[in-house]
Amino acid sequence: MAGEVDPQSDVSLMGGRARTLHLKALRKQWQIITLQIVSTIALVWMYLEVVSTYVVNSIDHTMLFASLEQLVGEVPIGDWLIGSGRTGLARFYVPIVLGLSLGGSMALLAFQSPRVQQRIKLGFIITLMVLLVGRLILTWIPSMLFSWDLRPPSESELKTLEWPLLMILSLVILFIYLLPVIMGTRGIWGLSRRSIGWAIGFTLLFLAIHAILTFPLIKSQLGDWGSNLISLESQVSDPTVGFLGFDLVTPEQFSLIMIAVLIMVFQESGFGVIRYLEYAYRLPESCKRDPEYVRQMDNVLNGHLRHTAGFLTVTGLVTMIALGFHSVLLEVVRNSTGSQWAAQVSESIELSLTYGLVISALLFLSLVAILRFFVPWQRVWGLIESMTNNQPEPVKEKEF
Amino acid sequence: MWTRKASFTFTGGIALILIGMMITNNQMMILGLTLITFIVVNSWVSGHGDIEVQRTLSADNLYKGDDLYVELLVTNRSNRRTQLLDVYDNIPHEMKLRSGLNQMRLNLRPGESARIRYVLRCPLRGHYSIGPVSLRVRNTFNLGVEDMYVDHHSDIVIFPQIKEVEEAFLRSRTPKMYTGATTLRTPGQGSEFYSLREYVPGDPFKNINWKAFARTGDLMVNEKCRDAVTDLYILLDSRDVARIGTVLKNPLEMGTVSAASLAAFFLKRRDSVALGIYGDGLAYLPPDTGDKQYFKILSSLAGVKPEGSMPLQAVTNSLSGRFSRGSPVFVISSCEGDGTVPAAVRDLVGRGHEVTVLSPSSIDFERLVSRIPRMSYEVLKLERQNRLTTLAGSGAQVIDWMPDMDLSQAIMQVRGY
Repeated sequence: MAGEVDPQSDVSLMGGRARTLHLKALRKQWQIITLQIVSTIALVWMYLEVVSTYVVNSIDHTMLFASLEQLVGEVPIGDWLIGSGRTGLARFYVPIVLGLSLGGSMALLAFQSPRVQQRIKLGFIITLMVLLVGRLILTWIPSMLFSWDLRPPSESELKTLEWPLLMILSLVILFIYLLPVIMGTRGIWGLSRRSIGWAIGFTLLFLAIHAILTFPLIKSQLGDWGSNLISLESQVSDPTVGFLGFDLVTPEQFSLIMIAVLIMVFQESGFGVIRYLEYAYRLPESCKRDPEYVRQMDNVLNGHLRHTAGFLTVTGLVTMIALGFHSVLLEVVRNSTGSQWAAQVSESIELSLTYGLVISALLFLSLVAILRFFVPWQRVWGLIESMTNNQPEPVKEKEF
Repeated sequence: MWTRKASFTFTGGIALILIGMMITNNQMMILGLTLITFIVVNSWVSGHGDIEVQRTLSADNLYKGDDLYVELLVTNRSNRRTQLLDVYDNIPHEMKLRSGLNQMRLNLRPGESARIRYVLRCPLRGHYSIGPVSLRVRNTFNLGVEDMYVDHHSDIVIFPQIKEVEEAFLRSRTPKMYTGATTLRTPGQGSEFYSLREYVPGDPFKNINWKAFARTGDLMVNEKCRDAVTDLYILLDSRDVARIGTVLKNPLEMGTVSAASLAAFFLKRRDSVALGIYGDGLAYLPPDTGDKQYFKILSSLAGVKPEGSMPLQAVTNSLSGRFSRGSPVFVISSCEGDGTVPAAVRDLVGRGHEVTVLSPSSIDFERLVSRIPRMSYEVLKLERQNRLTTLAGSGAQVIDWMPDMDLSQAIMQVRGY
C-alpha cells in the first residue's frame, strides 16, 4: 500500500518527462536562470552607475595606476587590461569582464568537491609563490652554487622581485576596485549570501565614505586631493527626466535613484534564488518528485519574477514622482490661488531645497501608502486572472 | 506584521534621509527615500489565508505501528492570489513523518488547488487529532509576514498492537455456565461430535473412526464441536507506577498490547471478554462477544493513561460478584507498589476462578532508562521474585514478563485455558 499512495509513484502518471525539484534540475530551470541573469545585469549596471557618478575622472583606477607609474615606473599589467588610455566609463569595460570572469570562476570552484577545491587553491598559492620569488631563486641560488659562495642576493638579483611585486600590487588594486562585481558574481552564481552581502556592503560603505569625504567641512580639509572628489549639488536644478511628459527629476537624481533601485534588484534576485533553492534542497526526496510541489515552485518563482520586475520598477517611478512632488505642490499653490500668501509660498526657496523636497516626498509616500486601502487592485488583478485562467489539468491522483 | 528586514529597511531609510539632510548629501537622502518607497510599494501587496482545506485520512482507526496516509487539499476560494503562502499541517508530536512533508510553500491563483500528501507513522496508541492547519503569508521580498490558522481537525484513534497468540497455549478448560446463551457449531477442542472428515497427517490416532475406516476403506477422523464459550475477565493495571520505562516500552504499553491480543484471540473464538482498567478509578466493560465488543475494548485501551493508585483488592471486591463462576481471570500488572495483590488473587482463586497474573517486570523496564547498580538490581529482582512466588503460592499462574520477551513466549509459561 505504501508504494501505491506514495507521492513519488504519481510521477509516472503525468506523462512525458517528469520534472523534479532536485538542485541539479532546478538550477537549469528558466526562472532561476532568469533571476540570476537579472541579478547579474543589475549588479553590473549598478556598478557602472556608481563609477560613472562618483569614480570616473575622479578617483578611478587608471588615475591611481598613473600615479603609481609616476612613483615606481611602468606597471607590468597591460594598458588594454586596465583601461588606461580610454576615456570615461570605457576604462571599466575590460576590468568588469575580468571581474565577472573571476567571480564566475570562484562560483564554479565553490561547486567542486573539497578535494578539487583544495588542489586548485594549492595550485594557485604555488603559482603565486613561483611568480613572486621564482626568478630570484633561479638566478641567485645557481649563482651561489657556481661561485660556491654563501651571500645575500645582489641588487640585480633583487631587481627580479620588482616585476612580480608590481604585478601583484596592480592585481590587488584591480581586485579592490572590482570587489563588488567579483563578490556579487560569486554570490549570485555560487549561491553565497555572504558574498552578496559583501558586494552590497562594500558599495554602501563606499557611498558612505564618499558622502563623508565630500561633506564641505571635511572636503575643505583634504586640499587638492579633496577637490578631485565629485560632490553632488545640494541645490536641485530644473528637472529634465520624467515620464508621460512630466519632468520629475534631474539626471543626477535619476542616476542616484537608479543606483538605489539596482542595488535592490541585485539583492532581491540574488537572495531570492538562494532562498528558493534552499527550500527545494530541504524538501524530502518524495516531495522533490511530487508534481504538486514542482507546480507550486513554478508559481512561487513566477511570482517572484513578476514582483521583481513590477514592484521594483514601480519603486523607481514612485521615488521619481515623490522627488518631483514638491514642484507639483508649488505649481498647485501658484496656480490655484492668487493671494499674496500663495505667491510667497511658491517663491519660498526653502520649499525647493532639501527640507521641502524630503517633506513633500514623504507626504506623497504617505498618500501612496494610504491609497492601498481604497484601491482594490489585487481583487481586480485576481478577477482578470480568473477570467483568463488557463489552469493546468489537475494531477491525476490515485485513491487510498 | 513587518519582518526584521522590513524594520531594518525602514529604519535605515529614515536614518539615511536624516543623515543626508544633516550633511546635505543627496545620495543618502535619495537612497533612504527609495528604501521607504520600497516598503510603501510593497505594502500594496498583501497575501491572505482565506483558503479552504480538506483533509482525507486513509483510516480513522489504526493499530499502533501502522502508517497513516494523509492528503490535504488546499483551495484558494478568494478572488485574489494567496501570494507566498506556507501551509503547515500540525501533526501530533507522537507521530513521525515517514514519507512526504506536512508543509508546502505555494502561491495559489483564484480557484486553484494544491494537494499536500504525506505518510505518518503512529508509534504510540492513543486518541489524537491532526490539525489545525497553520498558514504563514509572506511578502515576496520577505518584508511582511502574517501567521494565521484554519481550524480544521481530523480525529484518529490508534489502537494497541495485536500480537498473535497461539491456540495451543490458551485452551479453555472451564465450559461456560450459562450454556445456550450462545450456541457454537464450529469444530475445535470439545466433547460433542461435529462431523467426519478425512484423515490428514498429524491427526491423533485416538480420533480415527475405525468403523468408518472399515466401511469406506479410507482413514476418517471424528471432529468435535468446540466447547461452549468462556467468559474471560481481563484486569489491566494502569496505575501511575505502570509508566516506568521508556515511552514505547513500559508495563502499561505491554499491558495494553497483551490485553488487546488476548481479547482479540478470545473474541475470535466467540468467547465473551470483559475488561477492567484500574488506575485513577475503575473502568469496566461487561463481558460481551463480537466485533462491537472488540472495538469497545480497543477504544478503551487506546485511551489508557498511567495515573492513580487504586489497589487490586478494591477492584476485585467491586467486580468479583459479577464474574461468572469458574471463568478465567487475567490480571495484567507489574504488581509494584500494591500490597493487596496476593490477597486479591487469593480471593479470586477462592471463588473458583483460574487466575493468571501476567506481570511485566518493571525493574527491567527501569533499567532501560536509568542505570541501577548491580547490587540494588539483584535485591529488587529478589524482592520481585518473592512477590511472584507468593502469588503463585496463592494458586495463580504467574508469568514474569521481561521487556524483550514476546507475548507468545511469555504465555508459553502457562498452559491450559
